[in-house]
Amino acid sequence: MTTTLHPDSPRADAARLPGRSLLRIGPVSLVIRRRAVLVAAVLTVLLLLAVVLSLSLGTPYVAPADVLRALSGTGTPYDLVVFDLRLPRVVLAAVAGAAFGVAGTLIQSVARNPLASPDVIGITQGAGLAATVALTSGMAAALVAPTALVGGLLAAVLLFALGARHGLAAQRFVLAGVAVAFGFRALTEVVMLTADPIDGLRAQIWLIGTLAGKGWTEAAWIAGTLLVLLPVLAWAGWALNSTALDDDTARGVGLRPVARRIGLAGTGVLVAAMVTAQVGAVDFVALVAPQVARRLVRAERPPLVCAALLGALLLVLADLAGRRLFAPTQLPAGVLTAAIGGPYLIFLLLRGRRRSS
Amino acid sequence: MLSTRDLVAGYDERTVLDGLDLDLPTDAFTVIVGPNACGKSTLLRTMARLLTPRRGTVLLDGTAIRDLPTREVARRLGVLPQSPLVPEGVTVADLVGRGRQPYQRWWRQWSSEDGAAVDQAMALADVTDLADRPVDSLSGGQRQRVWIAMTLAQDTDALLLDEPTTFLDLAHQVEVLDLLHRLRSERGRTVVAVLHDLNQAARYADHLVAMRAGAVVAAGPPREILTADLVRDVFGLACVVVPCPVTGAPLVVPSYTGGNAPAPGAASGGRVASPGGPVDAAAGAEDPDSSTASVPDARPSTGDAANPLAGSHPSKGL
Repeated sequence: MTTTLHPDSPRADAARLPGRSLLRIGPVSLVIRRRAVLVAAVLTVLLLLAVVLSLSLGTPYVAPADVLRALSGTGTPYDLVVFDLRLPRVVLAAVAGAAFGVAGTLIQSVARNPLASPDVIGITQGAGLAATVALTSGMAAALVAPTALVGGLLAAVLLFALGARHGLAAQRFVLAGVAVAFGFRALTEVVMLTADPIDGLRAQIWLIGTLAGKGWTEAAWIAGTLLVLLPVLAWAGWALNSTALDDDTARGVGLRPVARRIGLAGTGVLVAAMVTAQVGAVDFVALVAPQVARRLVRAERPPLVCAALLGALLLVLADLAGRRLFAPTQLPAGVLTAAIGGPYLIFLLLRGRRRSS
Repeated sequence: MLSTRDLVAGYDERTVLDGLDLDLPTDAFTVIVGPNACGKSTLLRTMARLLTPRRGTVLLDGTAIRDLPTREVARRLGVLPQSPLVPEGVTVADLVGRGRQPYQRWWRQWSSEDGAAVDQAMALADVTDLADRPVDSLSGGQRQRVWIAMTLAQDTDALLLDEPTTFLDLAHQVEVLDLLHRLRSERGRTVVAVLHDLNQAARYADHLVAMRAGAVVAAGPPREILTADLVRDVFGLACVVVPCPVTGAPLVVPSYTGGNAPAPGAASGGRVASPGGPVDAAAGAEDPDSSTASVPDARPSTGDAANPLAGSHPSKGL
């Protein structure tokens, strides 16, 4: 892979694509933001550090050097702790965080609203209602996630049915989502109140979102979904560029804005329903990661890859903090994502305002 | 190149165009005029396939536009909607680059043709110096030139613009219209614009289309069709039509309506008087920049009740 500037006058090309380079691989030519490459590289390094740290901290403590040795397969006394106890959960945190970052980016760009996330448009509540029903009706534990997925997808269908009449226009999309969210939340509360208190508590913990007791199976479902959607995501990364154009302008340059919104939002809610079904409502990541990534890259819209990496980093750190901060008491990751991501978003907002004023 | 056949279009319950047949000339600057809500924007939006007609056809070079893939239409027909939403934080070069969308795919995001077309479009619209500026930081006139540059980057033969001069001050209006005129005369593009200002329409159009209540009342070169009768028919406004002192194109001057305009014979009456006139000879002589004063034919108002300014307008005698 080589990054080449345009052959005919590099200087003129720099003016046409400020801050960007052309990545050429055979017949494929992609426009890449140089700052996004830098941010992605830094985030990858930080993510790897966080993963090693997460594998190392806990009882027993495993020195980072031993973690690396175990990972490289040289056989250490810590293999059991690193591979069987900690790695599945850390990988799940990274994969789920990345999925939340992707879902948030897609949903926010269709909603044209930096505050939109899976729990604003009702996907989380749909999955939450289904999971609550499953958990309070004595369903087998293995069936909770599939049931939650069905609930999330049901909410998505309802959202599209309500929003479709106006071509899934931004405001309509958000309003339909808020309505769906409130409906499902009310039903969830009804189920909760009529359930056995112990079952209700289990459902409550599920709703907050936790990675405790989860691992490879959940990670595989989420990673599999992202992998299957990879061609769609490659298209989405490009299509996101033009979501800022109004419909008339978009049609004028030969785009089909409604079809594009359905594609982007459909992909977003699919990923959101899957990841929420697996790990619960840790979705503050989906709200924060796209916006923080956008500011780091200094782009006019959230960058898909950087948002995914940041989501992964955020959830790995949140899960680590939840495990260690009040050890031996464990806090659900959903509590910590808000505690870490919230202040940082506020900090960026304040800084952005100062700069622009 | 652009025609409509039995076109019926509208919004929700309201039918705006009802069976419209129209042929627009190729390589001409066509201006569509008419009162508010006459359907001129609806016509432009339907021709640009932004609005799907209920019945009838829009023909682009003889082919029904609905049978063409929208990307192909975008390579032949550029369109600037009435008030496009300015994307936040997007730079000028970036926005102009969006005009290359119909030539791009996600796996082929940029080519040397794209670069050349963007360069040429920015140069043509005179926004090259603004390339790195965010569009939302620009003035209205600059912004409009950037939007036009975006449609130019599409490299189409025809360009449709919906009220491209609205919200601009007079100097910027003239700037935009001059640009459109250059596109027609120097680049041979077909330009179709909806304009509000009749006098600008008359000055710039090769072909004028006057609409009222969803129908075309008259179409042709402005010097042939723009008369006081037509303005009364289309706008319900009494006026005089005189040759423009600069271009000779028809100039529409609304008649005195007794409203807020100063009564003839008051403030303006004196300035209109000929230098030799008895009323304000001194004022006329001291006021050489007033082009009206040098018109020998001009006479003070004779007090025509229905159309008091008619008799006094200096240009009448030209």
